[in-house]
Amino acid sequence: MFLKRLALQHYRNYAHVDIAIDHNVNIFVGPNAQGKTNLLEAIFVLALTKSHRTHQDKELLDWNGGETVLHAELERRYGTCTLDLSLSAKGKKAKINGLEQKKLSNFIGTMNVVMFAPEDLEIVKGNPGVRRRFLDMEIGQVHPGYLYELSQYQKILQQRNNLLKQIPGRGGVDLDMLGVWNEQLAQHGVKIMKKRQSFIKKLQTWAEHIHAGITAGGETLRIDYAPSLPLSDEPEEAVLFDQFMIKLSQVKDQELRRGMTLVGPHRDDLLFYINGKEAHVYGSQGQQRTTALSLKLAEIELIREEVGEYPLLLLDDVLSELDEHRQTQLIQTFQSKVQTFITTTGIESVHLDRLEGASVFQVRQGHVTGKD
Amino acid sequence: MFYPEPISRLIDAFSRLPGVGPKTAGRLAFHVLRMKEDDVLDFAKALVNVKRGLHYCSVCCNITDIDPCRICQDKSRDRSVICVVQEPKDLVAMERTKEFQGYYHVLHGAISPMEGIGPDQIHIPELLKRLSDESVQELILATNPNVEGEATAMYLSRLVKGFGLKVTRIAHGLPVGGDLEYADEVTLTKALEGRREL
Ligand SMILES: Nc1ncnc2c1ncn2[C@@H]1O[C@H](COP(=O)(O)OP(=O)(O)O)[C@@H](O)[C@H]1O
Ligand SMILES: [Mg+2]
Ligand SMILES: [Zn+2]
Repeated sequence: MFLKRLALQHYRNYAHVDIAIDHNVNIFVGPNAQGKTNLLEAIFVLALTKSHRTHQDKELLDWNGGETVLHAELERRYGTCTLDLSLSAKGKKAKINGLEQKKLSNFIGTMNVVMFAPEDLEIVKGNPGVRRRFLDMEIGQVHPGYLYELSQYQKILQQRNNLLKQIPGRGGVDLDMLGVWNEQLAQHGVKIMKKRQSFIKKLQTWAEHIHAGITAGGETLRIDYAPSLPLSDEPEEAVLFDQFMIKLSQVKDQELRRGMTLVGPHRDDLLFYINGKEAHVYGSQGQQRTTALSLKLAEIELIREEVGEYPLLLLDDVLSELDEHRQTQLIQTFQSKVQTFITTTGIESVHLDRLEGASVFQVRQGHVTGKD
Repeated sequence: MFYPEPISRLIDAFSRLPGVGPKTAGRLAFHVLRMKEDDVLDFAKALVNVKRGLHYCSVCCNITDIDPCRICQDKSRDRSVICVVQEPKDLVAMERTKEFQGYYHVLHGAISPMEGIGPDQIHIPELLKRLSDESVQELILATNPNVEGEATAMYLSRLVKGFGLKVTRIAHGLPVGGDLEYADEVTLTKALEGRREL
């Protein structure tokens, strides 16, 4: 897919900006705190209706007031479509081709993006919560139904944790009630686990291949799903449900003691191995960064596989961190087929000589000026 | 600078209503100040009357001005079915369809540990009492299709296992409430599943 136009109104530090885009590679240059990341974030928000760096939608609204509207014109295989997303303290309104969508799930995934930013190193280095968020964002982008399951699961989890906390205070344990929440938790949990399992499997296939390419065959990358209960290969939903329920009964006493739910996809993790060693523990900074890169590139291929088109690639401040060899590889792999948006503080650090037909934009205090 | 006591008390009273924040409460209070005295009196009376004039039906727990309520007194209805709903407004919605001929039971809520609402807080004991009447053969669980409503339905279906009843759950149409935004595919799937036995 190809983004032809991006127009923002009262979004972060952009009172008004309207950018016509006609190249596959687009570089946004400017000193710090000018609005480069904000620009990529806006594209991300148009794709997923959520930011990649904050849970708080209200942070996206211009401090100086005004109605916040994001607009994109997107070329897809089956034609052009326009996306409009307005944000306010009250909520979001989304339109495709001028038609208001009652459900955000109809809007999410019209435009697909893969963002690679410095904080993505945390996917490898950070805590499991970061990895779960990564999984959820990416699966949600191609399977909107997943987001619904997830929101249901989170509500059930909250209710169940509350119940577990209440119980010691009262005379006895309301086991009937706990049983009800167990069943609900397992029902939704199983669906999430199955989706994650199949996503990770596909991701692994791509990432392994890509990582071997980047490291010129020097490293093998393996990605493993580490769910909170043992999972066989492609289990039947009913079988997995039973296993989930059994596991819940096994940890019951422990859960009652600790007042929290100890089994389920909210405790899942993702493990990365480089040459058989856990990257999180043994990987060098460089290896971890390459792992994160392989992961993102794998995602690009995975999205193409699932939706039939390449997503947009958003590279926030990461190109300059890669050595020349990796930059070249990255750009050569994608410049003809994946539309890419790059931010950098200095154009010198990006090897422009390898880029044919790139647009360079200057970003200064919420203003963008083009220069081919 | 503070508001005089009567007005700040009114603001406080308004802000206790669901969905009313301090700003709106202030606007409403000052609106009352500008209203004609008769209108204010009518308004106050209406408020007091819902509380004094209405109570729960001793059979179905719906709100009513007579006891038992009009539906429970209606002998022409089908004794063999009881439809369990969360709120009086759900009963009204159900009645509007004119499809349902049985009796109701209104829970006034759903199980929610987060809000400290358990089975005893939502008129489940009253329901159990009714089920010992042998003419009841089917229980339709029409609680909301959200997490709390599902949990309530599941809990009830387990609770009444011993009564030898047919227990059914209504098919889901468009879900109510906050989950609407992601509900598309799921709604369709659920709607297809139809009314199922629990
Ligand atoms: N909600 C907002 N309203 C107005 N300005 C904002 C808002 N959020 C961030 N900013 C401003 O945006 C700038 C940061 O933009 P960012 O895109 O992160 O910079 P960079 O160019 O370094 O990537 C800062 O000047 C900050 O003050
Ligand atoms: Mg930045
Ligand atoms: Zn009644």
